[in-house]
Amino acid sequence: MVRKSFIITILILCIGLILMGCPKKTVVKDEPSVKKEEPAAAAKKAEAERIAKEKEARAREREETTKKELEKSLVTKQEPGIEGVVFESSLLKDIYFDFDKYDVRPEDALILKENAALLKKYPNVKIQIEGHCDERGTNEYNLALGERRANSTKNYLASLGISPERISIISYGEEKPLDPGHDEEAWAKNRRAHTIITAK
Amino acid sequence: MLKYYFIIFFLIFTLIPASEARVYLDINAPTFVQIPIVLAKWKSVDKTPPSLSEKVYEILANDLTLSGFFKVIDVHQLPPSLQGKEGIPPTDFLREWIPAGGEILLAGEALLEPSGPNFKLKFHLVDLVVQKHIVGKQYEGPLQTLRPAIHRIADEVILQITGEKGVHNTKIAYEVRQGAGKEIFIADFDGANVKQITKNQSINLSPVWSPDGKKIAFTSYLKRNPDLYLIDADGKNLQRFSYYPGLNVSPSWSPDGKQIALMMGKEGKSDIFLMDIHGSNLKKVTKGHGNEASPTWSPEGEWIAFVSDRSGSPQIYITGRDGSEVRRLTFEGNYNTNPSWSPKGNQIAFCGRAEGRFHIFTIGSNGSGLRRLTSNSGSHESPCWSPDGRYIAFSSNRTGASKIFIMNANGFNQRALTSSKGGESSPTWSKRFD
Repeated sequence: MVRKSFIITILILCIGLILMGCPKKTVVKDEPSVKKEEPAAAAKKAEAERIAKEKEARAREREETTKKELEKSLVTKQEPGIEGVVFESSLLKDIYFDFDKYDVRPEDALILKENAALLKKYPNVKIQIEGHCDERGTNEYNLALGERRANSTKNYLASLGISPERISIISYGEEKPLDPGHDEEAWAKNRRAHTIITAK
Repeated sequence: MLKYYFIIFFLIFTLIPASEARVYLDINAPTFVQIPIVLAKWKSVDKTPPSLSEKVYEILANDLTLSGFFKVIDVHQLPPSLQGKEGIPPTDFLREWIPAGGEILLAGEALLEPSGPNFKLKFHLVDLVVQKHIVGKQYEGPLQTLRPAIHRIADEVILQITGEKGVHNTKIAYEVRQGAGKEIFIADFDGANVKQITKNQSINLSPVWSPDGKKIAFTSYLKRNPDLYLIDADGKNLQRFSYYPGLNVSPSWSPDGKQIALMMGKEGKSDIFLMDIHGSNLKKVTKGHGNEASPTWSPEGEWIAFVSDRSGSPQIYITGRDGSEVRRLTFEGNYNTNPSWSPKGNQIAFCGRAEGRFHIFTIGSNGSGLRRLTSNSGSHESPCWSPDGRYIAFSSNRTGASKIFIMNANGFNQRALTSSKGGESSPTWSKRFD
């Protein structure tokens, strides 16, 4: 959006300059002297243009590669009894929570920053953050806790500049454990906020 | 739902007037001694196949055992001279039953009408101590109502012995894990007639009966959001009821059937809301900054108990239905959830953490008399009361996978509801279907 309007502004300015420049064209007299310097200046200009183009191409390539990278990383996910086809990407990392807590831990803030950087590259991607809990505690209280975990993750991403309109949330409470075990190792893995892609 | 129709054919003996009625067993005492009841062999009358009276006997004996109020003395435990005696003994011969060792005798006979598929069940209840008939009744109806009719006999026996009829004609709805999802099931109080209500492979949670027993409200993830649905108790007429983005979970039907209290995530965290049964008049009840969960109505519908972690850990609170007069109920322990208000109003059951595990507790609705009811290893969650307030159903993983258990409200007589392999949770009790 921002980029588009920027380009439009530049175009308008250029057209303006051309229009303003037109009547002056007749009074340009020392054209030959300009022409004298032409070879060196032109070469410089061409070189600069070439470098800029190359830079642009490299950036585009990088973008294409990462785009491909995201595209490559996507795994289609369709669950019985839950509407819609969604995608999971290994590039969008899960974050974890302490027991009965929903605040984003400092070490997980770095992960969310990486997730946010990726999301900035793909402004069309929409995500859903799933809040999950371990099996301890009651299902209903855990649904409330999962809602909070998903919301605090969403809010953190929003604070990093990701539009909240791109993020929906869902709490699964303790209904979808990642690890079916019944020990602290399993529980720690299950207390998580997981991100899925709902639109590419 | 099968419509029961029995005809109480006639009262053989008039009921003892209430003023003279004797309560044999005060079940409100914290501990009580089970009353020994003798079950004489039932008689198949005329050309009725013996299998009918055997079936009646078996279901009845099981009912009385499950009630927790009786020590059942069945045919095999009788002296040999009494083992062969079947049917209702004449008044003059009651003395013969004294050696059986019981205080009460239940005897009866079954008849299958030759003209149609109708049965007749006749029973007598006898006080062996004073050698007097307590009550006698006859029920009849088509064969498909045989089980409920037998349950009514058990309920009648419990009425005579304890002063309030039993809950054998009630059902329990619960979740059953299937693959990655959960489906809603129902079963009778005795674990019979297990039926699957939802078959959508989704995650279906927290079923609750409407007060009239016709519908079940529950949450399902069918549309990739925890929405509240209503469904008829026979599994028909699925209706998406509340579907705001975020939580629409943990429904609790108001006692008058006109409103549903539920947890909603509308405002970025879970709060308690009220909604009328047409899905309108949404009102927020809780005002705290915490997670508010698991609403349950007082029997008169004036109060709602719920969970809040506004103090830093989940605790039980009580609020007026308009959100006024909020007070904290639980102060012991740092994790108290899942409140369920008893139908008598004086107690609230809940799930609390003690010694690193979850247990079922009861506490007076005034905050007094905290009592722990479960002590086995394993975790115990989601208590809910029977409509007479004498039993609590809950889930427990004490035997491995989580199963529904039922116990007397004093914690005695704990038994698994069904013989399934488990994966069951969130029981909820229906009204009496008779």
